[in-house]
Amino acid sequence: MIRAALKTTLPIFFGYLPLGIAFGLLFQELGYPWYFATLMGVCIYAGAAQFMAVGLLATGVGFVEIAIATFFLNSRHIFYGLALLNGFGHWGFRKLYLIFGLTDEVYSLMTTIEVPQQYEQSKFYFWMTLFSQSYWIIGCTLGAWAGTQLALNTQGMEFAATALFTVLLIEQWIKVRKPLPFVVALIASAIALLLLAEHMLILAISLSLMMMMALRLTNQKVRDEY
Amino acid sequence: MNIEYLLIVIAIMSAATFATRLPPFVLFSSREQHPLLQFIAKYTPPMVMSVLVIYMLKSVDHLSAQGLYAAIALAVTIAVHLWRRNALMSIVAGTATFMACVQKIFFT
Repeated sequence: MIRAALKTTLPIFFGYLPLGIAFGLLFQELGYPWYFATLMGVCIYAGAAQFMAVGLLATGVGFVEIAIATFFLNSRHIFYGLALLNGFGHWGFRKLYLIFGLTDEVYSLMTTIEVPQQYEQSKFYFWMTLFSQSYWIIGCTLGAWAGTQLALNTQGMEFAATALFTVLLIEQWIKVRKPLPFVVALIASAIALLLLAEHMLILAISLSLMMMMALRLTNQKVRDEY
Repeated sequence: MNIEYLLIVIAIMSAATFATRLPPFVLFSSREQHPLLQFIAKYTPPMVMSVLVIYMLKSVDHLSAQGLYAAIALAVTIAVHLWRRNALMSIVAGTATFMACVQKIFFT
């Protein structure tokens, strides 16, 4: 099971390693010891929020502001658990860790792949989450610890995340085979881009959900077909 | 450089991040089979994936060479994936294409 989970999460490796290194590089410019970048990868485990933290730490921002900014930046995650209510098993350490580790990439992968039948779903998810976070921690540490000496030219490697989401979008299409959720998301994204640009994610996702629900509640055809 | 300040910030950010991921699991039990909830559970992933792809492409400057590189790399990713349906292969192919273009490997 461990090997199968490792293989499943390899696509995330290519996204997290360069992104983690980029974070570590930025973080070490603050002057803190490298192992605090590791600690952030272990405890926070949120890409965008950690990048934001570097900027905020430099300005010595207040604790309340940090809490609000982090919550808002990650607020799209509020909807992620909805699709995984059944998959995380009973309450316990494992479930808490799975919830803690529910990033964009892990969520996308979990909701797209089928867990091989011979494995218990929540255990397989546990290994997926553990491996994914390990890639992130390794990236953060490498960047902060050896970032400046690293001769590796990673320019352009950030495309891995785009490629991952694109591949999973194709897989979602193959799985769902109905245009409505994709069209709704496209319209919601367009509106969110026009209104908020930088912070479009949360608006686009909540708009999509609201439009989709409204369509189901008001339209008989949608109710029958979806 | 203030270690104590950093540690408190890390603790707060950890709690705030966890707080965004926890609500559905507390609000709904896994036994719940309300049709509207099932409907949402089923169609959130395709919508989220669409939004994430758009979000990632938004940051590309479409009028520069980078926009062209992203379009090429995206086409390669999609083509390889439709051809083989191997996620890892598609991602490596697409990313390698983008890196080769950005680092101007073909032009020097």
